[in-house]
Amino acid sequence: MKLTNKFTLWYFAIMLVVLLIGGAIVYYEIQWKISKVEVVRHQRLNDLIAQQIRSGGDYSGHPTRKRATIDEIQADSMPTGTNSYYTRGIGWNSEFQINEFRLVVTSFYAINGKYYRITTYSYIPSFYQLLPGVVDSFKWILLLLLVLVAISSKLIPKYILSPLSKTLKVIQSFDLKQRKPIRLPETRTSEFMELNIFLKKMTDKALEDYQSLKEFAENASHELQTPTAIIRGKLELLMESDIRDDQAILIAEMHNALEKLSRIHSSLTLLTKLENKEYATEKPVCLSELARETLDSFEELIQMKSLTLDCHIEDNVYIHLHSALADLLLTNLVSNAIRHNTPGGAIRVSLTRAGLVIANNGLPPQVPVMELFERFKKGDPASDSIGIGLAIVRQICELMNFNITYEYTASQHAIAISFQPSIPASKLLQNLSFPLYPVAS
Amino acid sequence: MKVLIIEDHQELARNINDFLVKEGYICELCCTLEAAREKLSLFQYDCILLDIGLPDGNGIHLLDLIRTEHKQSNVVIISARNAVDDKIIGLDKGADDYLTKPFHLAELHARIRAVYRRKNLGGTYIVEFNEIRLNTDTFEAYIGETPLDVTRKEFDLLLYFLVNKNRVLSRQSIAAHLWGDYTDNLANFDFVYQHVKNLRRKIGNAGGTDYISTVYGLGYKFNAHKEAET
Repeated sequence: MKLTNKFTLWYFAIMLVVLLIGGAIVYYEIQWKISKVEVVRHQRLNDLIAQQIRSGGDYSGHPTRKRATIDEIQADSMPTGTNSYYTRGIGWNSEFQINEFRLVVTSFYAINGKYYRITTYSYIPSFYQLLPGVVDSFKWILLLLLVLVAISSKLIPKYILSPLSKTLKVIQSFDLKQRKPIRLPETRTSEFMELNIFLKKMTDKALEDYQSLKEFAENASHELQTPTAIIRGKLELLMESDIRDDQAILIAEMHNALEKLSRIHSSLTLLTKLENKEYATEKPVCLSELARETLDSFEELIQMKSLTLDCHIEDNVYIHLHSALADLLLTNLVSNAIRHNTPGGAIRVSLTRAGLVIANNGLPPQVPVMELFERFKKGDPASDSIGIGLAIVRQICELMNFNITYEYTASQHAIAISFQPSIPASKLLQNLSFPLYPVAS
Repeated sequence: MKVLIIEDHQELARNINDFLVKEGYICELCCTLEAAREKLSLFQYDCILLDIGLPDGNGIHLLDLIRTEHKQSNVVIISARNAVDDKIIGLDKGADDYLTKPFHLAELHARIRAVYRRKNLGGTYIVEFNEIRLNTDTFEAYIGETPLDVTRKEFDLLLYFLVNKNRVLSRQSIAAHLWGDYTDNLANFDFVYQHVKNLRRKIGNAGGTDYISTVYGLGYKFNAHKEAET
């Protein structure tokens, strides 16, 4: 649920409670005010009548006497403290022939040694008559508020929360590998300011750490180059000296280990470079041509392992990829398919505009196939490879936004790469231009 | 052939020196940009091995000087940085080849010979040894007058042997030479064995001497002193 919706709902709930209480208050307030005003009016009227009595004239037909009753009372019935009170209640209105709400005001006066009780009354709107009006007006107020809140809950957050949504957008698009510090929008809201400062600090720190990690890896690999070259050179010179057979074996083993070291090293350097996006794409590369060249260059190896090659390469498949990376991608995939093949097995290659599929026979993998894309993961732990070829392939695909998948079915390993990020690579395995899986016979 | 080795790592420079001296080259070493400038202003060299990561500057800067003053010199850049840009800039500025560390010394030698052939032999692309004759332009090989039917890889292999005569060539070095950087995925070197075997058989069939021998545990060697079998 969106923050603004939550706020709006809470606001509605509070509003409803406030309006209910407010309605009651308004209702009683009006009722009280009306009585109050009437009481004051009648007290004035009573005072007037008292004045008339004091003056001694005959006012019996006077309009003031229309609803007035004047009684002479004993001195002891005079109330102490107040000289006026009022009562309310339902009374018969003979004028309108209806029971109405009647307000009666009684005042006491001492005039010329005599005591008078003057009572006047009038009919006021009953509370029940007022209620629908109050309810009605509150209904309208509620409706108006609802409409306004609904509209403002759409509009105001856009304005008030815009720094937050901008911040969110920035954070979502933040990528360590881009190495760009984030730029957050200016805001005067203190919470957002705090959030932005915190985020800025956090991402800057992450960038810094990432950078130093990168530098370490780069330096380490760079500085390892020369010692490796020196050792290799010495070993090669040693090989040519007069050595015994057992020494030769030792040298060969050292040489092998060194070779592996330098392969790991150059692969890691390559991966770092890929991550650093050092390969900018200049122009589209013709993958069809490159695929044929790669397969040609591996022809001898394919024959040597007596593998059969089944190729379906569409002409003029151009994709946006650095030529060195395209070469690397194909070489890694093809050599992988050769190396992990079973003797007499097959390699199937399909290249279309949609993507590339390379499948080969092979032993069942000992780890989940998708894990093979990780660095130093090997299907067969005993194998002599360093297990980084597929990591490089995946890195290239990630860099270029290609979708890649690996499947093992019916004793076939199949790696599919979709050149369009919108099409998942697994789809390519379903719609192939040749039957990838041998039909059961 | 006179070679100037500009390399700041003494041990590496000495490795190269030892290797090339055995080939009968005259080598001079220097390990800074300044020293290199001085040497270049005084002497002429057939080949210059240039490390671009020097303590007092980028070796690429030397290329301008070399191009104007030493047109005849071949330049092979040796660098620890396998950056595509460096490669392109280096080759653009007149370097003849680019080799990334760590490299096999035999590979370096093969590269030096290759650029030397390209530039100095005035269009003769023939590499000859006794009865073996290779044309590096057309990739044709002959034993005496008999054409040798070899694949491109076998041709490269034979050329590698001829350039590095009497040297032990490790399987790794051969694999790296024939397949470049991608040998990771071809980790076992059976295919080197296969290629060498095929090459020896083909030379034998064409009536050539089997100069190539296996060095136990290490690799192969082209024995230049071997007498032709009678």
